[in-house]
Amino acid sequence: MKRLRLLLARLAAQPKSWFRAITHRSRLESDMEAELANHLELLTADLIRAGHTPAEAHRNARLSLGSAVATKDGMRQSLGLRLWDDLAADLRYGARILLRSPGFTSIAVLSLALAIGANTTIFSLAKQLLYDRLAVPNPGDLRMLHWVGDGKEVISSMWGDFDAGPKGTTNSSVFSYPVYLQLRGANQSLQDLLAFKEESMNATVRDNAKRVNAAMVSGNYFAVLQVPAQFGRTLQPADDAQQGQGAVAVISDGLWQRDFDRSPNVLGQTLKLNQTIVTIVGVAPRRFTGAKNVQSSPDIFIPLSLQPVVLPKGANQSLLDDTGMWWLNVEGRLKPGVSDQQAQSALDVQLAAAIRATMSPKSDQTLPRLVLEEGSRGLHFTDGTFRKPIYVLITFTGLVLLLACANVANLLLARGAQRQREMSVRLAMGAGRARIVRQLLTESLMMAALGGSGGLMLAYLGRNVLPSLLTNAWDDKSLQVPFDWGVFAFTAALTVLTGILFGLAPAWIIGRTDAGRTLQETSKTSSRRRKGLTGRSIVIFQISLSTLLVVGAGLFLRTVVALNSVDVGFQPDHLLLFDVSPPAKRYPAGQDVLLHARIERAIAAIPGVEHVSPGWVPYMASSMSNETFDPEGEPRRPKSAEDVNAVGNDFFATMHIPMVAGRDFGPQDTTTSAKVAIINQSLARARFPHANPIGKRFQTDERVNAPWITIIGICADTRYMNLRDEPPPQFFLPFIQQKEIGTMVYQVRSQLPVDSLIPSLRRTVAAIDPDLPLVDIRTQQQQIDANMQIERTFAALTSGFGLLALSLACVGIYGVMAYSVANRTNEIGIRLALGAVRGQVLGMILRESTWLSLAGVAVGLAAALFLAGLVKSMLYGLQPYDPVSLIFGAILILAVGLIASWIPARRAAGIQPMAALRHE
Amino acid sequence: MSEQEKQLELLQGTLDLLILKAVSLGPLHGYGVLLRIQQISGQALVIQQGSLYPALYRLEHQGVIASEWGESDNNRKAKFYSLTAAGNLRLSEETEKWNRMSVLMGNILLATASAVPEQA
Repeated sequence: MKRLRLLLARLAAQPKSWFRAITHRSRLESDMEAELANHLELLTADLIRAGHTPAEAHRNARLSLGSAVATKDGMRQSLGLRLWDDLAADLRYGARILLRSPGFTSIAVLSLALAIGANTTIFSLAKQLLYDRLAVPNPGDLRMLHWVGDGKEVISSMWGDFDAGPKGTTNSSVFSYPVYLQLRGANQSLQDLLAFKEESMNATVRDNAKRVNAAMVSGNYFAVLQVPAQFGRTLQPADDAQQGQGAVAVISDGLWQRDFDRSPNVLGQTLKLNQTIVTIVGVAPRRFTGAKNVQSSPDIFIPLSLQPVVLPKGANQSLLDDTGMWWLNVEGRLKPGVSDQQAQSALDVQLAAAIRATMSPKSDQTLPRLVLEEGSRGLHFTDGTFRKPIYVLITFTGLVLLLACANVANLLLARGAQRQREMSVRLAMGAGRARIVRQLLTESLMMAALGGSGGLMLAYLGRNVLPSLLTNAWDDKSLQVPFDWGVFAFTAALTVLTGILFGLAPAWIIGRTDAGRTLQETSKTSSRRRKGLTGRSIVIFQISLSTLLVVGAGLFLRTVVALNSVDVGFQPDHLLLFDVSPPAKRYPAGQDVLLHARIERAIAAIPGVEHVSPGWVPYMASSMSNETFDPEGEPRRPKSAEDVNAVGNDFFATMHIPMVAGRDFGPQDTTTSAKVAIINQSLARARFPHANPIGKRFQTDERVNAPWITIIGICADTRYMNLRDEPPPQFFLPFIQQKEIGTMVYQVRSQLPVDSLIPSLRRTVAAIDPDLPLVDIRTQQQQIDANMQIERTFAALTSGFGLLALSLACVGIYGVMAYSVANRTNEIGIRLALGAVRGQVLGMILRESTWLSLAGVAVGLAAALFLAGLVKSMLYGLQPYDPVSLIFGAILILAVGLIASWIPARRAAGIQPMAALRHE
Repeated sequence: MSEQEKQLELLQGTLDLLILKAVSLGPLHGYGVLLRIQQISGQALVIQQGSLYPALYRLEHQGVIASEWGESDNNRKAKFYSLTAAGNLRLSEETEKWNRMSVLMGNILLATASAVPEQA
């Protein structure tokens, strides 16, 4: 007990005393001085009193107190200042050393800064896309409800995400509103369940029509997420109480900033959302991004009760009574003390009951199984797209960092050889080995710290470059990568790690210096072999890393080239795309078709527009639509859906897709004329292998009296969702013959420059309806580029890293060869004196460096062959062991090796024998 | 010189205890601590004056003594050390330990051959 109290008192006292000593250093020094002087004075006085002469007394007093310097040193040591003082001295000395060779320091610092900056940038992106959690209190408690069906599940209509799992299973996170209400009532294992649906809508904010991302949320949404409004109030259960009522909205911080300039007068103002006027009652907190994802926030939150008014859907406008349509995301917080397993089995039983209560499953239909998933990162749909690319990028930047470390280590080693004498002198004068290693490590860490701060600065400047490379060119809401303490801590840790990584080996080797031997050594007896070997293995390591990076960059570059040369099947030049979404409230089924026909005619009349056609599906935009395709006289197949596009009559001319047989759509195809369709060659091959499909009829609906559609033509194949997949079977229907069409993407072919075309398009559409925004205006080429965004970003980044690797390897080879030549000056002089031709010397040095390069390239190629297999799915049009990339990479590295050693080799060949022999 | 021969070198590790004891009798400056130890010991102990101050600083660093600047006898500013509460605790504990140790040492050194139990 006593001991513990003493220990605690000591633990409390020591840091306080140490800190006081550090902060009041000059006062401490003068106090020590005064105290010792006082002692001397009193002692002298006592000695004089005892009968000594003053001079004698002075002398004796000083003798018995001993050396004041040593005593003060002991006092400082008592206060724990020794380490601190040594560190300060090390830092001062280190700074002098770094400043003495500015060239060396700047190369090392610059390469470290580039490598650390690249790592920090990729890390901040990875953190944002793969690790950051929702900005709500206790995100770890959130559980998102999913269900898994076996392919025969009762759910047939879905609006939202679903993945086809293995063996025909379906995985989805959407529920019907009636099922949500049942689950919410029965649930006891999660805290209150919230529901939300994020969807893009047309908004008119301060007379400015635009597309926004709106979240329709249950009344308890903000309460369950525990998110207060930063201004005004959040949505309440009362807002969501009655269908069609509750025309209030909470806006995001971003919208408040962009459209209201953070004005406090925003409360009470109205905005039009799909023609419905809603009143703004509050602003969500700055970092809040909703429950769905971490990357970007919905602009507007409205109560779910508004769905029938704002976004009418289905037979009777309201999805809130619709038991068949599954469309809502449902989430809750785990109750304390309840395990995931317990909650999941309880909810599974409740889901089955809810489905039986709201739907009537047939005997051959099954009930889905409920699965609870972590909700702290929303639906984390970024994982699928970005996990692998980001891991590959992290590997790349990690290798670049390793390369930079090897480079600095190599430079330090070479310089260490020059400093060997200094170290020997210090050892001879009594410095401890640990002390010398510490001094060298301090220098390395200082260099790393400089590199780290440079890297942090680079990453900060470049923090928005990467996201802009990863998002669409026409998207105004680009991904914001936050620069926070997590990133800073990562960089700091990385910096220390690199400092130790590149500093330890040289420090260790130099620290082992034998004082006596080195002092006697001259260049003639230098133990070049051993030191040279270390430098050489580092260079081989560097060259193999560079080979790996260059080959990797080659693979990704060639993937982009291969994708670029894909024939899409239509003419993508001079095509402008934009979306028009008529709100269902103003344009119910039928009216929307007429509206699009009107817009199509108006645009076709614009001077300079050659062709125009609206369509359901833009090409190369990762979007798709499919419908049942049941030819007449064939037995019904269970899964007979084919990719479909509803298009204008001028579609094939607009896209320059050639007709292979039959006729094109034309003015004769109208709302009332016979229903027609065109199929592509793949569909003809797949579904009519032995017959001429023209004149054949099919249905797109299972109902008995559904209309028959006649095939009138066959067109050439085109790529559909993306550049990678082979052209799928497709069929085309005139949009004018559809009952209901909704959002369409317009394809406009014109030789006019885009900048002059867009305003006239806007004017034309505004003349028809001023509340209809033109959304996502982009050229078809931009659309294609966006579709290979990741591949292009990859090629750009990896080529950049490859170049960086090449230049680092260049510095490494040059350094080692220059050092080798300098050390062999004597030998080369003798060779020349004995009659060697300069060309022979040149060849000798180049041969030496080429052997190094060859060894490195061999190791690098082996590693590349092994690692390329892991990125196979990211490549296109080539194999992981692509011989072009491998051979080209190897040749490039060998050439760079030759160039880097050319200068040292020339210097060797230019040595004057007499000067070399005198040289010591 | 004959007086010197009677003096004893300080046992290792006992300086801290002596300082604590000296300061426990009232606040002292560094030289005062030296004088008081010599006075109590009847001038029988030799204290390396050079090691006195590092010891004082160490004890203050550990929080068992505290210091304050004040007037000395010769009307100079001097640093006075006094015992803290933690120091009191430490002093009593060290004293107890020392007493046990000295009894033990005494007994061991007094032992004769017959007193040692036979080892079976």
